[in-house]
Amino acid sequence: MSLLQARNVTKRFGGLVAVDDVSFEVFEGTIKALIGPNGAGKSTLFNALTGFDRPDGGSVLFDGAELVGRTPRETVHAGVARTFQNTRLFEEMTAGENVMVGSQARQRSGFLAAMLRLPAAVADDRDARAEAGRLLRLIGIEEWLDAPAADLPAGIRRLVEIARALATGPRLLLLDEPAAGLNLTETRELVQTLFRVRDSGVTVVVVEHDMGLVMEVSDEIIVLDRGRRIAEGPPRIIQKDPAVIAAYLGGGDEDV
Amino acid sequence: MSARTLRALAPLVAAAFVAVLPLLVSDRFLLKIFTFAGINALVVTGLALLFGYAGQVSLGHAAFVGLGAYTCALCTVRLDWPWLLAFAASGAVAALGGLVLALPSLRLKGHYLAMATLGFGVLMSIVFVEAEPVTGGVDGFGGIPFPSLGPLLVRDAASLYWLVWGTVAIAVVAAFNVTSLRPGRAMRALHGSEQGAQASGVDVVGVKVRTFVASALLAGLAGALYASVVGFISPSIFTFAASITFLAMTVLGGTGSLAGPLVAAVLLTLLQYLDALIPGIPTETAQALQRYQEDIYGLAIILVVVFAPAGLAGLWRRRRGGGEAA
Repeated sequence: MSLLQARNVTKRFGGLVAVDDVSFEVFEGTIKALIGPNGAGKSTLFNALTGFDRPDGGSVLFDGAELVGRTPRETVHAGVARTFQNTRLFEEMTAGENVMVGSQARQRSGFLAAMLRLPAAVADDRDARAEAGRLLRLIGIEEWLDAPAADLPAGIRRLVEIARALATGPRLLLLDEPAAGLNLTETRELVQTLFRVRDSGVTVVVVEHDMGLVMEVSDEIIVLDRGRRIAEGPPRIIQKDPAVIAAYLGGGDEDV
Repeated sequence: MSARTLRALAPLVAAAFVAVLPLLVSDRFLLKIFTFAGINALVVTGLALLFGYAGQVSLGHAAFVGLGAYTCALCTVRLDWPWLLAFAASGAVAALGGLVLALPSLRLKGHYLAMATLGFGVLMSIVFVEAEPVTGGVDGFGGIPFPSLGPLLVRDAASLYWLVWGTVAIAVVAAFNVTSLRPGRAMRALHGSEQGAQASGVDVVGVKVRTFVASALLAGLAGALYASVVGFISPSIFTFAASITFLAMTVLGGTGSLAGPLVAAVLLTLLQYLDALIPGIPTETAQALQRYQEDIYGLAIILVVVFAPAGLAGLWRRRRGGGEAA
């Protein structure tokens, strides 16, 4: 069953068509990779899907409900969480506290409840703390729980951001270049993490340049080039697709 | 005694000291200075939420103090309301002002937000002068009665002190609860990365508005206390310079902390009355310090921002080798 249906999504910046009439589907319980040379429109498409940017045309149905026009927060509430290409962590908070913030999306207790330390507020706090611990263990970085985000190595920062996104309780997780800045070991661990996340019932869309990782984890791949969808299919087919090879090798783009 | 018990005990010891101070100090003027320190601490606690936790700058907080002070004066003198009702109204009116200011702030960041709050402060200080029939204009507003809690009239120096610091204690406990639970994390997240906060499902707009309103409310209550303690208010008290003073206390106290700004508020208030506190100090020195007060605050802000961005609280945390904000 398709969880996400993007139809004819278009995003222009002035005269530049960053995302040009792109349609695709993501099936529940799968990992889908979104690849393409730099400037292909991958991050723009992510922003359009998550409410950080409003597409100029098209529609994005998540489990049948329209996402276009929603704010980032409403998108999170609908069950779509994301990470950023340049991590957006809260530097003065610890890794654990960063992940705890993700639980905000699932919780309701407000200022007044907190001011009076009502049971609801204390319960939310305890729940967020437990969930942060659980997620950092799931991702295998529990030893960083109390480290300030500003002190984290680049690879760990990405994983903390993934944990934070998972804390919102998403059904769909959009990861923007999660392997950037990871060493080989960390990348291996990331692959395992992605499988664990998928097995826990979360559908994943991942933008990634590491082709080894992409081919290994993804059930399906969609390829963008200069804003247009040029191919879509399972990894083995995509590897042999002439349009894809041309886009990567022929476009004069050194970043493969 | 472990560092942990020490940390848990420190606020209690500080609270006990503040509570018994009137029993140790018989000088009424000295008590009044500490009462003013409490009033400033109340404003600064609100600013600590706004600036230190949520990362939103206000250069116009004296306007909220003024709103509270004039509301209290009007309600008690003109409308003859019971003091507690006037006190509550003062907080409510200032909170409403905070709401009005929060609306444009949703679209503004950094310097632009600072400019908007500055403009609000200047605007209000003009209103205090020009709305003469209501505020008494430059001549000020006098004859404001002492606070009364039901039948209990609070008028001697010690009782006023306790009333002010009792209010501070309640505000600090409430603020501590807010900062240590869900809303506090939302505020700190907002400070850290607005996009990261949005992506985490934080109600960015709601958090900004609520924090603005809460800090304005505390400033309004502080204004009402000031009006009732002194009995006289005038526009010259709620100026841009006063806003800078509050901000200096907050910045010096440090981000992500309530204790730091509280301590800074007391210290900088005492600085204004050095001649009364240190009997031997030459009059010229004391006068010079008072004359250059704003320059000292401005310099303090610059030094803190450049050399210790996390303020007193940051230095304290670093000395202790990390640990969470309190």
